[in-house]
Amino acid sequence: MRILSWAYLLALFAFILLPVVTLVIFSFQDGRLPVPPFKGATLDWYREILTDRALMEALGNSLIVALLSSLVALVLGFLAASGLARVLLPGTVVMRGLLIAPMTVSYLIIALGLLQMFNKVGIRPSLLATGIGHVVINLPLCFAILYAAIGEHQKSALKAARDLGAKEWQVLWFVAAPMLTPGLAAAFFLAFTFSWDEFIIAFLLTRFDVTLPVEIWSMLRSGLSPATNAVGSLVFLVSVIVVVALELTLFRKGSK
Amino acid sequence: MVAPALLWTLAFFVVPFAAMVMMSLAHMEGRDIVQGHDLGNYLKIFTDPSLRRGIFVSLEITVVVTLISVLLAWPLAWIIATRVPPRWRRIALLLAVLPFWTSYVVRSYSWALVLGEKGVVMNALVGLGLLAEPVQIMATRAATIIGFVHFFVMLLTLTIYSNLVQLSPNYARAAEDLGASRWQVIRLVILPLTLPGVMTGAFLTFVLCIGDYITPQILGGNNELSLPQLIMLQLGRRGDFPMASALSVVLMVIVTLAYAGCARWLKMERL
Amino acid sequence: MTADVHIKAVEHRFNSFTALHRVDLQIAAGEFIVLLGPSGCGKTTLLSIIGGFLTPSEGQVLIGGRDMTHVAPKDRPTTTMFQDYALFPHMSLRDNVGFGLRMRGVGRAARNAKALEMLEMVGLADKAARRPHELSGGQRQRVALARALAVEPDVLLLDEPLGALDLKLRRQMQEELKAIQRRVGTTFVHVTHDQEEAMAIADRIVVMNHGKVEHCGTPEEVYLRPRTMFSADFMGETNRVPVTPSGSGVNSPLGPLAIAPAKGMLCLRPESLGLAEGFSLGRATLVEAAFYGSYHRCHFRPLAAPDMLLTAHLPQGAHPGFGEEVELFGRNPVVLAPEAA
Repeated sequence: MRILSWAYLLALFAFILLPVVTLVIFSFQDGRLPVPPFKGATLDWYREILTDRALMEALGNSLIVALLSSLVALVLGFLAASGLARVLLPGTVVMRGLLIAPMTVSYLIIALGLLQMFNKVGIRPSLLATGIGHVVINLPLCFAILYAAIGEHQKSALKAARDLGAKEWQVLWFVAAPMLTPGLAAAFFLAFTFSWDEFIIAFLLTRFDVTLPVEIWSMLRSGLSPATNAVGSLVFLVSVIVVVALELTLFRKGSK
Repeated sequence: MVAPALLWTLAFFVVPFAAMVMMSLAHMEGRDIVQGHDLGNYLKIFTDPSLRRGIFVSLEITVVVTLISVLLAWPLAWIIATRVPPRWRRIALLLAVLPFWTSYVVRSYSWALVLGEKGVVMNALVGLGLLAEPVQIMATRAATIIGFVHFFVMLLTLTIYSNLVQLSPNYARAAEDLGASRWQVIRLVILPLTLPGVMTGAFLTFVLCIGDYITPQILGGNNELSLPQLIMLQLGRRGDFPMASALSVVLMVIVTLAYAGCARWLKMERL
Repeated sequence: MTADVHIKAVEHRFNSFTALHRVDLQIAAGEFIVLLGPSGCGKTTLLSIIGGFLTPSEGQVLIGGRDMTHVAPKDRPTTTMFQDYALFPHMSLRDNVGFGLRMRGVGRAARNAKALEMLEMVGLADKAARRPHELSGGQRQRVALARALAVEPDVLLLDEPLGALDLKLRRQMQEELKAIQRRVGTTFVHVTHDQEEAMAIADRIVVMNHGKVEHCGTPEEVYLRPRTMFSADFMGETNRVPVTPSGSGVNSPLGPLAIAPAKGMLCLRPESLGLAEGFSLGRATLVEAAFYGSYHRCHFRPLAAPDMLLTAHLPQGAHPGFGEEVELFGRNPVVLAPEAA
């Protein structure tokens, strides 16, 4: 049983890690093709991508879209969650269902619907359009996380604040937000990640200014190249560093 | 306070969605969209062999991917939750989902790297003498499935793991105490108790898998087209929004049916 | 189906922390033993060692005369009733109770009959097809009992089984537990931190603290003649008066007292203080009184030691007025040697 367990663990880890390891190794390939044999290490490809203007612009665009769209989604989700947690109205279930609904719909469908609507009302494919789409997919996420974080305990605290004469904005700012900090942080982090990595909405709703996944996609059309490996490895390494840093600081405290 | 979020959802989700359903009832004349109220597009989807084929390709791939992913992820989650010493558990879990942190597009690309004719796998197999010459995997359904399984094994391992560690250890102890063998404990107690988590994860897998364009496009190529690929094809080549919309509605219906099928095990609040 | 349990010099360490220090304990077949102590005293560790969920660092566990120290839980003639009951939520009550028999290869018809019989015993036969989540806390507790007893163990181990119930239900379940134990005759080893519960159900109480057995005896012995300061305090409230031998009696801050000469701490339960009978504690004034239904709880300030406060439980309607001066008497004196503190 024990040997079988360890063998299984190793086999699955090998399967899971194989593509990433290959990706990173061949990003240092001293040659035109990121496939065996490994011809020696070079940082040329990293130099190439770091000086690639289009790529760097796309990176900046991605950061801006991810940051702004997750902030908007977070604020809207926070307001909605606090509002719906307040009283049990007959419409609560319907509203909750409506807010969650986009979660069960493929991004492709959301993108297609927005594309058609934007065409009609004359909004050009742009980073703004993409951002709006990203809020649509992240709002349910933020709402669900925050709504779940408001338990009985939090509800009575909100009630107590109102009872003590706090205005609605004061309740939100002084009581709800500090109380829900872990949930807010988790929701923002997830929303940012989803937006940062989202492809299909950005692909359909941008034209000239594109986000990083779309830029990488266009790199793929020119076939396998160590440059693409380098981009992927860089994104991967930065993300892992951020995640590990968060794990060591924020979430460790939160879990204890 | 709920109003902004509701308005947003209404304006950018419900209205576009309704517009899309309307659009699916229109048709193309030359390069122009003619609004109509006929089911022509839907009829065509079920009569045109290449479109109808797309539905089945997508369904087959999704069902196979979901099954394989669950079968692979459950034992992995169980081993990490129960066999790995506690102090290594978080690290093992982190390793098991590490590739999440590359971008989705890059992950598919890296499988193209690995599975290609000159890739690591073929090199190794030929080098070890297990294969006389490289076998074509890229641009086949197998590549699509491998790429998908890779992603969803990670996702399901996470959901099943969190389900497993929430279970009281006393369930297993009680069963063991009453005479159950280790295998019986898993089969009769632990497995049924994780069913809600498994079903939630499987549903998530189903939804994400059947709606994904990137993986089949990069790994599966254009030999057989999945539903999302067909939708993109309508958009790109001819600007046929009506047909793309109709196909999207079909996709939506499939997801809804899947939801209805496993609704009794799902607790969506847990997502 | 019953057996004796013999715990021989059992010691258990978790890394550097010693949870049990050389515990020796003899439990007779058919006895109802309660392991009592505050959290972290080692009682649950000891229970886990008897049940086989832990292997002791040293020592032996004998059940029915056979060495069980290294035997797996499922091969022991013991079953455990868990604190959270661990009822399988996906099975009916019948299947829960029949689970152990199923594992022993008993056919469906036979195990259903037995399960029904066990559910009958705990008064839940009409709910056999229900699922655990449809039951109240007390009912779940009964199902857990039925499930553990269905395989006819020699020894039943109960890990704070009444901890999750409210007080009233807990008192009722104590009586049921005791009645069922008498009926089946199985040896019960029960862990709790509630001393009233321990006294209500135990044949013998094992008071534990810091991984050691402080006192082991019948409820009366443990309550009325505690052997250590810890068990005196843990079993209930005590008034403490330091004493030193003097002639044929003792000397104390209250003055000379007519009890057997001894040096140490005189311990008196509040109900052992009265206005008559026993030995005199000198005169005192009533400073506070509260009515508790079955008794008056009164605080007296002795004249000889005004900085001391003695607590007495006096019978209904029998307490003096505030500030009134009375003579106090004590019964059942226990003097604990200083080292026992």
